[in-house]
Amino acid sequence: MAALQTSAPPAPSRGQARPRAKNKRTLGQRLRHDWPLLLLTLPALAQLAVFFYWPSAWNIIAFMDYSPHRPFWENPFVGFAWFERLFANPYFMPALLNTLKYAFANLLFLFPLSIVLALVMHSVISTKIRSAFQSVVYLPYFFSWVLVVTVFVQTLGSDGLVSNWILGFGGERLTFMSDPDSFLFLAWLQWAWKDAGWGMIIFLAALASINPSLYEAAAVDGASRWRRMWHITLPGIRPVIVLLLILHIGGILNVGFEQYQLQRNAVGYQTTEVLDTFVYYRSVIGTEGPSFGTAAGLFKGVIGLVLVLIANNVAHRLGEQGIYQKS
Amino acid sequence: MATPSDGSVFRRRSLFKAAGLGVAGAAGLPVIAACGDIESGGGTSQTTSGFDFLPEYKEWPLPVQPDLVGEPPNHPSGFTTYPEPVPAIENVPSNSGTYEITVPIWGEAPSNDDPYFAAIADASGGTTVNLRQADGNTFAETSVQWLNANEYGDGIMLFSWMLFAHPNFQETVVNSFYDLTDIVKGDISERWPLLAGLPTASWGQSVWSTDPADPETARVFGIPGSFSGGPGNAMFARTDILEEHGQALPTTVEELLEVARAVSDDAGGRWAFGGTDYLTPQWFGLAGGDGWAYIDGKLVHNCERPEYTEWLEFRRTIWDEKLVHPDLPSGTLDGQALHKAGTIVFQLDGMSWWQGFIDQSTAEGTGGTIAPLGALSAKGRQPLVHVNTGVDSWTFLNKDLTKEQVEEFLDFANFCSAPYGTTEYELLNYGIEGTHFTYGPDGTPVYNEVGTKVVQAPVNHKTMSGHVQQFLTGTPDMVQARFDYNASVKDFAEVNIFEGMRVEGPSEFKSAGQVLIDQQNDIAFGRADLSAIPDMVETWKNNGGEVGREHYTAAYDKLHG
Repeated sequence: MAALQTSAPPAPSRGQARPRAKNKRTLGQRLRHDWPLLLLTLPALAQLAVFFYWPSAWNIIAFMDYSPHRPFWENPFVGFAWFERLFANPYFMPALLNTLKYAFANLLFLFPLSIVLALVMHSVISTKIRSAFQSVVYLPYFFSWVLVVTVFVQTLGSDGLVSNWILGFGGERLTFMSDPDSFLFLAWLQWAWKDAGWGMIIFLAALASINPSLYEAAAVDGASRWRRMWHITLPGIRPVIVLLLILHIGGILNVGFEQYQLQRNAVGYQTTEVLDTFVYYRSVIGTEGPSFGTAAGLFKGVIGLVLVLIANNVAHRLGEQGIYQKS
Repeated sequence: MATPSDGSVFRRRSLFKAAGLGVAGAAGLPVIAACGDIESGGGTSQTTSGFDFLPEYKEWPLPVQPDLVGEPPNHPSGFTTYPEPVPAIENVPSNSGTYEITVPIWGEAPSNDDPYFAAIADASGGTTVNLRQADGNTFAETSVQWLNANEYGDGIMLFSWMLFAHPNFQETVVNSFYDLTDIVKGDISERWPLLAGLPTASWGQSVWSTDPADPETARVFGIPGSFSGGPGNAMFARTDILEEHGQALPTTVEELLEVARAVSDDAGGRWAFGGTDYLTPQWFGLAGGDGWAYIDGKLVHNCERPEYTEWLEFRRTIWDEKLVHPDLPSGTLDGQALHKAGTIVFQLDGMSWWQGFIDQSTAEGTGGTIAPLGALSAKGRQPLVHVNTGVDSWTFLNKDLTKEQVEEFLDFANFCSAPYGTTEYELLNYGIEGTHFTYGPDGTPVYNEVGTKVVQAPVNHKTMSGHVQQFLTGTPDMVQARFDYNASVKDFAEVNIFEGMRVEGPSEFKSAGQVLIDQQNDIAFGRADLSAIPDMVETWKNNGGEVGREHYTAAYDKLHG
């Protein structure tokens, strides 16, 4: 029988340098070696520079009494005056609290729904049913909020389909769409209809990357459907869940604008005023101007950054990868 | 020395990061500390009369006189027959320039390739004006960004009601638009006789000061649109439904409530009202514009007056008694469609709905008749009618144009100012015979499908410059009816206490006003009680109302001495 290993590796001679853990190369060597890859990243970098970093640099106008009609350097610095005005506004804190309320509700009630939908989809074997289900759930994501709200009014409004049906049975009209107390539930219904399908697609992509042989092996070992989901499926998509959760938390103050603005008259400003509508009504309608709006945007950005860092740190401590690999 | 552990905050990299942040912070703080106060958003006031640099008014003789003679501007004259059009411009200029003007459009934007535009270019002397058409619903807000970025072509058309969205329009005007003063000053009747025939008040309202504090810096920056007078909005009643229920047109608010109760049937899906927000304050004697009235020697805002409570009580009553469409607060209702269907009996709309209802219900075969409510009032008070008091719009030209280009565009604007009864007006308003319209049995132009789509668009070249005189035109019955209506309400027209001045309120005042509107809706739709009004008013005063009063009082004093 032939030996599998024909010869042993030569032992390093005494005094010979041990191979380094990392091959340290000079910048020139690295550029010569990696230039095709660097070239490929250039368009993306240019896009980021033009549409993200350059506009981001203009956040500085939050510290200026900015007017677009004078040279940039002639705009006087006003320090934190716009932030003071922002925080002193009696309607800012209610808007912030509303934003947090809707953001956490979205995180608690919509995020898991997308996972559940993905798991249900994943378990459906018939491709016909699967594609039909996927279309029904996914399509509303492409509807504008105007259309979503209109569909809800036509269906659940006081003169909508359901109300008229109830009237036919001698009942009362629904006031669901104009009741501030039920708005959170209404908002959840709208999120669920419009957005849950989109979240589902991302989790489905993660589910597709799980090796099917794991399921087969587990099935051979007698694992039930529930056991397979608990021990294979969920651990398989856990990194994606954590990543999306962190990104969601980072954008927690970005709850959107149209959904709340469109239903402002119906349920009142106290229920629907979120940071984005607050900025619109003060900065544009109230003509506070671009510096005020930028200060509010910067505030949202800083809070988002802090939350992302905290969530990422927690993820690392729990042994997850988070949004980047810990070095 | 012990090496800091991994968990220590004094790790080498962390220390560098912290030091970097510290240096950046230390460098930034003095900049931030050496700061001034916010000076923008304080509001402006601009005199619009008494200038010596406006175009000298030279009456442009009308080629045909109206058969209904009113008292313009609140009671415009009208034509009940279509006159044989005559050319307004004798010496057509010879031009060749091309300009791009940004305009709002509601509905589908017609193509610039239509023969209508080529015919206008030809008739006006060779100037091609391409329209950059943008959604009218968001035009006011988005125009702010176009102007800031100088991305609006060679000019932009803005309606006067769109200025609300601009944080400091005075600053925008003087920095973005061409100063026309030196070109239009004095006698311009030789080259632009129709522009010289525009009312002096129109040109006066096209003036802004480069330095708001210095009246001497006032200059002409816009080509004025038509000077409209009379009521711009009305509450239209379905008179056929009123008759069915044995009701007559109400003449007081109390009668209106009774009629509304008689015609409403919540279970049956018919309600008296759709929207009631922007016209109904006048029924209670509340002021138009920014809501200020001069009472007992000082400016008093609508919300501080007892009539304000009456008005909100009225809105609340009609909501509680189910006289309003229950989905009105959703903002998704198509009021005009519901009015045509008879689901809403009283429709609050612009005056053009009168003709619009007739045209649409005839074309669709839905039938029905409508009429506007007259000058209503509550509790036997003298009625008040809010009226238009100025130019509808301006066309502003980009400051980067040359003098020759501006002069050529003024040639074109002169063409657009031709009034009813001229061939220029017919081309601009009806298009080309056979392509866009045909003459009806009574000689009046009637749009065909292409004409309806292209020429009847609410904004195009026909609105680029004001007409020397505005007339009531259309079907004879409608002209007569509108003429009679204007005559019936003109004596109740509100007197503008800021006549001769344009006042832009401080941003705090505008913000407080927005909150007030939200709170009014809370009461009107049953989310808050009438007892909340004193608190609302107090909040309004503390958060911008008093600042607004100071600003408007200073403007009022400047105007009235």
